[in-house]
Amino acid sequence: MAENLLEIKDLHAGVEGKEILKGLSLSVGKGEVHVILGPNGSGKSTLMNIIMGHSKYEVTSGTMSFEGEDITGLKTFERARKGLFLSFQTPEEIPGITVENMIRTSKQAISGERVKIVPFRRQLKATMEELKMKPEYAERYMNVGFSGGEKKRTEILQLLMLNPKLALLDETDSGLDVDAVQIVSEGVAKFHNEDNSCLIITHNTRILEKLKVDRVHVLINGEIVEEGGPELIDDINRRGFTHILDAQAEK
Amino acid sequence: MAEEKFVPKKKTYVEDIERTLYDIKDEDHSVYKTQSGLTEDIIRDISKRKNDPQWMLDFRLKSLAVYNSLALPTWGPDISELNMDDIVTYVQPDAKMTGNWQDVPADIKNTFDRLGIPEAEQKQSLAGVGAQYDSEVVYHSIQDDLVKQGVIYTDMETAIREHEDVVKEYFMTLVPPKDHKFAALHGAVWSGGSFVYVPEGVHVEIPLQSYFRLNAAGAGQFEHTLIIVEKNASLHFIEGCSAPKYNVTNLHAGCVELFVKEGARLRYSTIENWSRNMMNLNTKRALVEKDGIIEWVSGSFGSHVSCLYPCSILHGENARCEFTGVTFASKGQNLDTGASVIHAAPHTSANINTRTISKAGGMATYRSAVKVTRRAPFAKCSVNCESLMLDNASRSDTLPVMDIEGDEADIGHEAKIGRISDEAIFYLTSRGIDEDEARAMIVRGFVEPIAKELPLEYAVEMNNLVNIELEGTMG
Amino acid sequence: MAELKTFSRIPMRTWRWLGVNESRIPADINEHVKTQKILVEAGKEDEVVLTQREGGQYELQVHIEEGAKLHLVNAQLVPDDALYTCRVKVFVGKGATFAYTVVEAGARHTATELHVDLVGDDSKADVWGLYFGDGESVIDLNYVIRQGGRRTDANMQVRGALLGKSEKIFRGTLDFLEGSKGSVGREDEEVVLLSPNVRNRSVPIMLSHEDDVDGHHAVSVGKMDEDKLFYLMSRGLDLAEAQRLVVEASFNPVLDRIPDAELKAEIDTYLQRRLSNG
Repeated sequence: MAENLLEIKDLHAGVEGKEILKGLSLSVGKGEVHVILGPNGSGKSTLMNIIMGHSKYEVTSGTMSFEGEDITGLKTFERARKGLFLSFQTPEEIPGITVENMIRTSKQAISGERVKIVPFRRQLKATMEELKMKPEYAERYMNVGFSGGEKKRTEILQLLMLNPKLALLDETDSGLDVDAVQIVSEGVAKFHNEDNSCLIITHNTRILEKLKVDRVHVLINGEIVEEGGPELIDDINRRGFTHILDAQAEK
Repeated sequence: MAEEKFVPKKKTYVEDIERTLYDIKDEDHSVYKTQSGLTEDIIRDISKRKNDPQWMLDFRLKSLAVYNSLALPTWGPDISELNMDDIVTYVQPDAKMTGNWQDVPADIKNTFDRLGIPEAEQKQSLAGVGAQYDSEVVYHSIQDDLVKQGVIYTDMETAIREHEDVVKEYFMTLVPPKDHKFAALHGAVWSGGSFVYVPEGVHVEIPLQSYFRLNAAGAGQFEHTLIIVEKNASLHFIEGCSAPKYNVTNLHAGCVELFVKEGARLRYSTIENWSRNMMNLNTKRALVEKDGIIEWVSGSFGSHVSCLYPCSILHGENARCEFTGVTFASKGQNLDTGASVIHAAPHTSANINTRTISKAGGMATYRSAVKVTRRAPFAKCSVNCESLMLDNASRSDTLPVMDIEGDEADIGHEAKIGRISDEAIFYLTSRGIDEDEARAMIVRGFVEPIAKELPLEYAVEMNNLVNIELEGTMG
Repeated sequence: MAELKTFSRIPMRTWRWLGVNESRIPADINEHVKTQKILVEAGKEDEVVLTQREGGQYELQVHIEEGAKLHLVNAQLVPDDALYTCRVKVFVGKGATFAYTVVEAGARHTATELHVDLVGDDSKADVWGLYFGDGESVIDLNYVIRQGGRRTDANMQVRGALLGKSEKIFRGTLDFLEGSKGSVGREDEEVVLLSPNVRNRSVPIMLSHEDDVDGHHAVSVGKMDEDKLFYLMSRGLDLAEAQRLVVEASFNPVLDRIPDAELKAEIDTYLQRRLSNG
């Protein structure tokens, strides 16, 4: 197994006193692609938000480390600067901040260096073309008036521009038409390489077609109940979660 | 092991924003000051010193009588701290009006240098400049080619001497002294200000700017701005104001009258950054004829108390008003701002778009009136006002009134009030931006639709102000 | 004009010339106030349907205790030559809900005040009002919801139509008091103007002394949506019929809340008749 990039051990966390993650452990190695499957309400999005350090959630015990360093106490922006990136399930609208301004500010914040306008614009324009985004979207306010598909493409645009070490993709393919899923999955495939890893929540296997999945985790009721290789995806697709739930109940 | 919330840990409120630029006080160089207070003798004294024609003296005295007969308004911010007996209504600086900065006394010139006025003029980003210091205009200039086209831009005193008929025809006809107590006060003690006349068909491509500086403690500034844009002509006029901070109350009761004739277009931009001992009770009104357009861009950042509601009377068919305003109320400020629009002809239209921010105990009120008279079928008006509260020590109120007669109007109003959402902060910080910067970005984004309408220097100034106001306040 | 006296005041004053600071009623109105008290005990649920058919002055004092729910229906169908005032004061306790459905359709002069205090945490007010003016009727409304508890929820939805020479003032205030953290408030008024001689005044007020709130208000005043009318006329309706249908559609969300089918039908017929006379 590759060197561990993200390592979560026995994580308990919740919101307003209600426990959502109940002793979850997970590790993602460098360059790997992991998929999390699970029924609605199992805690998948919560996990993503907690990895990114959302202040709404409280971590009661357990640890999270990234590249061997404990990140449990780090603030969101500090985690981002270490190389974590979350593609939001419902990206926020930020009126008054253009897409270009947003990405340039982020890039500067993460790299700690001034980003030169001319090469930045060139890269932005090229990346937008790859994602089949109209160039005028660079001047539009972040996600304001964007369709669902445009919002998701803007997330992938940020992923490619910021080039983090680990991409957390929270249903990046949901609510998209076939062409849009194609574009988004090509974007993710472009991001992924031997150094960059992905942790993906999806209900749709299409986004995985261009990726080699290393490991699949089934998350139910705040715990990882089953793990396996890519074959687990087909298994779940055929049989659903019921048999796992039943097996759980028997235990 | 709970994650730290983004709640402020140590609120180190900036007592007053970094105003060094504005706060440098000059020594008192006045050659003459009236006694404080308001009496007939004082009015006669001002009038004599200003060499008023008889009709203007009569006008002042009549206004004084109106002032004495009117009560204070029963609504709006508390202005009981204002004691007219303590206010010096006329302060004559030791400077004669000139068209050459070299002739302006050194420290007065230095003040305007610091404010960047002569520089902007040299860079040709202004086609004409007026600079008022306390009660009198000390500098006025206009580009020769505009003079050749018949454009007049001068101080009000010169206008009375050289264009008496025009001034007499328009002066305080749009804002009559009986309008309210401070309009009457203005009529009695007004001094300084600008007069602009743009002849038919002339387009003044580069803006004119008047800057009003109040230096004397405990004084009032009562400048009068009268602008006439004739048929199919156009103009952009910028007004700036500031004062150093004193611990006594200063008063600003200016009056702006704008006449936009058929097919004409006037953009009137104001950035008000008075110090926080200023009572800013200003009256602005525009009369817009057929196919004319008035555009207001209004930034209110300073003063202790402000009452400012530019009014547009859409008097001719298809007349239009665009109002864009931003107000930032911080500690010790009660800023009551907004707009009013009177639709008095068919097919008139208006857009009102405002943003207000309140912080550190500041009070911000958005107040407006939209009136559609029976003479205005097919009137259209859309209002959008948003308020952002940065903490719960502050106050933010929204009080719009729509008064519509007839059944052919189309009026829409939308308002929002709230704070910066935690989700938006999470989104931005998840992209590596730290929390303070994320907040500042959101606030800048909030005022962006307004900032982009401001003249560039002022937009930069507003951005700096947002940054300074937010620095260190968010923990 | 007859002498007037103040019945109700706006929570925050503004320019006098707009005439909205006070709600004024004829000074010679009968002083007698018919008062009714409604108490909903903790945890209980109740529905009260009132129909006012006689002019005069009314007052309702409503107290909803912790966790209780009340739906109050208040339909005003007094004769069109009568004067009518109604003051409704409501206290809403912790976790309690006040649902209000009000119809102001009759009277020559209507003045009403609704004052809801969301005192308890997680208390809720859901106010749906409908007004209808025709002839020379005057409708003067002052609705205030004060949000004092944490996580309170206020919703004020008002629909109206004005015909003839009627005049109406609607003041709707959401007041977020200090400490009302996590509260939300929403206010919408939609008015359709159906005659060149009407006068409509709308005053949507939002006051906030708390940053952790989410307030929103919107007003739309004007003619009917032309596309909607066109659509209906393309289906064979004439202009008057199409207009009536559009007004009805805007009233329905309010009328549909009336549980008493007979009363609902009565109001429906009443409004239909007056709409077709307009």
